Amino acid sequence: MLKIQKEQEADMLECLLDMGELLLESGAEISRVEDTLCRIARAYGAVRADAFVITSIVSITIEFTESDLVTENRRIYSSSGTDFYRLEKLNELSRRICHSPEPLSEFRKAISEVTSREKPFSIILLGSILAAGGFAVFFGGSVNDGITASFFAWGICLLQKYLGRTQINPAASNLLISLATGLCVGMLCRVITSLHMDKILIGDIMLLIPGLAMTNAVRNILVGNTISGVVRLTECFLWALSLAGGFMTAIMILEIL
Amino acid sequence: MTVYDIITQMVTSFIGSLGFALMFGMRRRHLMIASLGGMLSWGIYLAVLSVRESVFFAVLAASAFSMIYAEFMARLRKCPATLFIIIAIIPLVPGSSLYYAMSYAVSGDMINAGYHAHQTVIWVLAISAGISFVTAIRELRTRK
Repeated sequence: MLKIQKEQEADMLECLLDMGELLLESGAEISRVEDTLCRIARAYGAVRADAFVITSIVSITIEFTESDLVTENRRIYSSSGTDFYRLEKLNELSRRICHSPEPLSEFRKAISEVTSREKPFSIILLGSILAAGGFAVFFGGSVNDGITASFFAWGICLLQKYLGRTQINPAASNLLISLATGLCVGMLCRVITSLHMDKILIGDIMLLIPGLAMTNAVRNILVGNTISGVVRLTECFLWALSLAGGFMTAIMILEIL
Repeated sequence: MTVYDIITQMVTSFIGSLGFALMFGMRRRHLMIASLGGMLSWGIYLAVLSVRESVFFAVLAASAFSMIYAEFMARLRKCPATLFIIIAIIPLVPGSSLYYAMSYAVSGDMINAGYHAHQTVIWVLAISAGISFVTAIRELRTRK
């Protein structure tokens, strides 16, 4: 078994915090993050490991020997994304390490390897186009509605990419995107009257609506991670309200015009 | 609901799930299985709804099925079940009722807004309950 030296302890905690942060940012469940961190710590010879994770904080305390306790916290700023590639890689990594602990330098290298791979934008774009078009038809729209929704999904994707680079918070960015989408779709539907505005918007809104986040939040509450669940649920209501605010403004502007 | 509607919904739920799987950066080798999960869960919802006229029960059955499917595929593919469950429940996510709730609220029609908000809550609860139910059974079988 690999033994952690006293001077390596801080280093190891940093690795764990990085791992926890990455897991949260990739959309792992709270219980999975806590479990993974504790398992890895124990694999490295900790007598006891306690992880407390909520959507905005990772806190780990590791007891290496009787009187040798180390605690570190990290504030997490964005934990609303989903990245299955990273999730899968991190899962493989944690299994490998729990099975046979590697030197810390190797562990760190593996983590930065996972970080270095970003989702390609073209794939996200293709996904949004398929999802928006598919769901516009799914919820009762015509094929033309689907195509229109796909077209606007492209715009939403570009807007999201652009706004993601700025400091803007998710609620405000949802407001802006829904306002822009509502205005464009509304105007197009006035020109081409055979299109169904609600179906097109539902298709596009599936990309923005916090339905999935809301489901996960309630799931967190039901499995016992009440704090994270409630925090996320509150955020979801805020996002839904900001979406509604954007549409309301768009509809009011269209009525005046 | 006609056969044509059912086929359309099955096909589009597959396409929609595939879209989300791509958006979430799923690896190519899992794409088909994950999207199939979305389509099957919608199929279960429709099937249960045709037998018993209860939306809550149908969604619960569909999401419980999704979780079993996800756990099974996760074992088979040796990767976390989260990947498959998130994609499988996507067609069940109440995007349309959330939209109509917002849209009626905006236009001041509070009766319809309330109805759709109520529907949204039912769907979200049913999905979460279905998943948690299967999770609880799995946890029963593993010891500390």
